[in-house]
Amino acid sequence: MLNKLGLCVYISAFALMTASCSSTSSHNESDGLESYNRAVYKFNNQFYKYVMKPVSKGYRHITTPTAREHIGNAFSNVKEPIYAVNHLLQGEVVESGKDLARFAVNTTLGIAGTYDVAGKGWNLPKNKTGFDDTLATWGMPDGPFIMLPFVGPSTPRATAGLVADSFANPVYWATANDANIHDKVYYPYVAANAVVVYESGMDVLDDLERNSVDFYTTMKSAYIQNRNGKASDDTVSYDFGMDDEEEDY
Amino acid sequence: MKKVFLTSLFAAFFMTAQIAKADVDAKGAEEFVHNMTNEGIEQIINANVSQAEKQQRFKKLFNEALDLDFIGKYVLGRYWRTATPEQRKEFINTYRELNTKVWSERFDEFKGKNFVFKGTTPSNSAGQVFVNTIVPMDQGEPATVVWRVKQDGNTFKIIDIIIEKVSLTMANRNEYTAFIKNNGGNIDALIANLKTKLK
Repeated sequence: MLNKLGLCVYISAFALMTASCSSTSSHNESDGLESYNRAVYKFNNQFYKYVMKPVSKGYRHITTPTAREHIGNAFSNVKEPIYAVNHLLQGEVVESGKDLARFAVNTTLGIAGTYDVAGKGWNLPKNKTGFDDTLATWGMPDGPFIMLPFVGPSTPRATAGLVADSFANPVYWATANDANIHDKVYYPYVAANAVVVYESGMDVLDDLERNSVDFYTTMKSAYIQNRNGKASDDTVSYDFGMDDEEEDY
Repeated sequence: MKKVFLTSLFAAFFMTAQIAKADVDAKGAEEFVHNMTNEGIEQIINANVSQAEKQQRFKKLFNEALDLDFIGKYVLGRYWRTATPEQRKEFINTYRELNTKVWSERFDEFKGKNFVFKGTTPSNSAGQVFVNTIVPMDQGEPATVVWRVKQDGNTFKIIDIIIEKVSLTMANRNEYTAFIKNNGGNIDALIANLKTKLK
């Protein structure tokens, strides 16, 4: 679930809505695929407007904030094994163990993951990662900014991570052997997860769009800055000269 | 001889860089942000006054704490140079009004939050420093909020806010310059569009 802090959510909503947080990237904000990206952005906007928003509003209408928080916890809990596998692939054995411990504790004591018992009572905070981070750890470059249909801002590496993580999802594996069950469980799970994530960021995205003169560029800038920033632990990504009038988009 | 000259040149450069970093009162900058966030939380967000009064107080604090003239000039990018004095003035005024309006509607999001100060980081730009803070969240990791502060004499002003590594002024600059570029370099089109958001 996205947290309520407006500022954080306003800016990081895009990145959070696409996939796991990236850790290594080094591209600038040039946009060689701009005409394609803008066309996909327009399509996504219509999809959000006529499908995601009405469905998300319906979901909000029939649930309380507390219920949504617990539902969000449950969806998030399902992804803990994905974090565990990827931490292992990144050589982070201890972190991988913590992810599995979180999954075990929250699935049992946390009542199917609806309560974050591990995070609040066992000092095991969530530590998200994904195959995007794993590829970054292995030295794969990020590639250019691309706008994915239905998903939103991404890069080739983030897209590869998203696809790999969807195959590593426990719900996928649990239903993979029976096509009938797979169709009835996995796809509704993916759709429901999308609604839960979209609902939590819907208001801030609306607010951002309302106050933006070019929302596509705002999304792209925030997404790329967030990824570039996470690639470095210091101030490099945002310590640019502010007296410079030339270096812009 | 050439080596000595180069060494001297490098030494002079690094000394200048050090002086540039040392010319900021980092402690003073941190104190400035600390006082500003405290005032915002105690005198506005948690204050037992009407919403209208809160918005008035917020507008005053926001305009005093941020150097919106400096930020406005930066976000117009290379178009600042080609803008007429009238366009510059009109843009700065509109940008100031819009930001004040937008953020005065958002400040309630900070209810129940507090900033934990994590020291300062020098900037490569003279007279500037980054004040690092984190905001503990109900769930998950805390959010990082970095304040870029510019010192002018004994006065401090915020010139950028970086949230989760995203610079708001850079995001604005990319957005505005892209808009102007896609409108044939027409700065008035940007100003007119921004004005529609003030209603």
